[in-house]
Amino acid sequence: MNELAGGVIAIGWPQLLLATGFIVVVGILSLRLSLGLEKDLAIATVRTYLQLIALGLVLRWVFEVDSVWLVLAILVVMMAAAAQSIVKRVPNAPPGILGSSMLTMLLTGFVVTFSVTGLVVQVQPWYKAQYIIPIAGMVLGNSMNGVALALERTFADLDARAGEVLALTALGATPWEAASSSARVAIRAGLIPTINAMAVAGIVFIPGMMTGQVLAGADPLEAAQYQVVVMLMVAAATALGSVLAVLLSFHRRFTTDGTYLEKGYRTDPS
Amino acid sequence: MLLSAEELTYTAHPDTGPLIVLDAISLDLAAGEIVDVRGASGAGKTTLLRALAWLLPHASGMLSLSGRLATEMEPTQWRRHVTLLPQVTSLFAGSVRDNLLIPWNLKVRAHDSVPSDSALARSMAEVGLAEVALDRDASQLSVGQAARVALLRVVLTGPEVLLLDEPDANLDDDSAAQVAALIERFASAGGAVLRVRHQRDDDSATRTLQLQDGRLTEVGP
Repeated sequence: MNELAGGVIAIGWPQLLLATGFIVVVGILSLRLSLGLEKDLAIATVRTYLQLIALGLVLRWVFEVDSVWLVLAILVVMMAAAAQSIVKRVPNAPPGILGSSMLTMLLTGFVVTFSVTGLVVQVQPWYKAQYIIPIAGMVLGNSMNGVALALERTFADLDARAGEVLALTALGATPWEAASSSARVAIRAGLIPTINAMAVAGIVFIPGMMTGQVLAGADPLEAAQYQVVVMLMVAAATALGSVLAVLLSFHRRFTTDGTYLEKGYRTDPS
Repeated sequence: MLLSAEELTYTAHPDTGPLIVLDAISLDLAAGEIVDVRGASGAGKTTLLRALAWLLPHASGMLSLSGRLATEMEPTQWRRHVTLLPQVTSLFAGSVRDNLLIPWNLKVRAHDSVPSDSALARSMAEVGLAEVALDRDASQLSVGQAARVALLRVVLTGPEVLLLDEPDANLDDDSAAQVAALIERFASAGGAVLRVRHQRDDDSATRTLQLQDGRLTEVGP
């Protein structure tokens, strides 16, 4: 048995190397079955080590510094990275969605994170990095997925409905009136994975945060209560983010005089 | 003049290089006129209709309706008065009634009175659709029935100019005759119609124009 640290069984370098043995086994399997995954597995494993150890070191330093400005700066960097990731994951999007994605992530991230830490968890002081950064990470990570899905579906559905959109605009519809059914379909699509996860949480799987807390020695009921807060927070963030992103972005497929830019009339490659 | 277009210009940019589709076209439509536009496939007939409906991105030129410049109106208001019926029929999920009343769900007609069921049924009968119930699922209509419902939807909104892109393509002779009769009634009530056609001659047109190499020329009545 390893040494207990604050109720947690500490994992040292020998244990990490032992865990890496699983990947070695997968690598051998890949070689034997000619899957060609050895290089990707090796790179992914090294990245996992480097990124997570670096994260641990950074978080340790941030907790020690305990500065409001540092916490806010980290949040802004996280939000910018999330916005950048959204743009990459929506290849059919028109130019200029980086700005609206950034605004979406900023609003969603700050509103939901600080609502949870301030009103529900009641963190003291309000910027305490130990709470703010992990919670913001969950808010941004999950809403980013929903936002990317909703945006991708919005622009794909608009293209699929280009004939309907033309018919509606020809009758005098505004861009929103012509695009709203695509937006609704897309926002629903963005939310469905979160709703499905909520429906099966605790039955099919134990959510990650609850697992972590239980492993860290927390009372399972307290961990469950935290997890409920997290899942509701994630659902709210995904809904808010998807709605905001779609509302801020759909008009980029229309000209200023309200004409839908069908394929063939676009100056961008999408 | 009801509708005037001056110097309508549009250049497409296919992979083969810039292509002038509309080359400074000018066009006048008077109330009561039915003007047919003919031209080879790809000549730009649909593009011309879209330009007149203020629905062509990157086009230039000047449009006016009864002397009022398009730029003095909101684009949605222009399209309310100068309405395009695209070639591909677009009926939406729902009943025939839902489809006919879509225009009244739009902000541009927020203050207009909505046609009654009896008015809708009367209009349906005028285009040979008396047997089609207003409650019928629009997805179950035949191609010809759907085309007539789409045309009726536009005509019922009472535009001043109708821009029709192949309104009788894929219709049988009876359906095409009913569509032609509806268009003639619209024009005789003071509307103007510009039709893109390249199939049959139905004797409705008061003028026929030919679109070739980006230019319009009059080829006959």
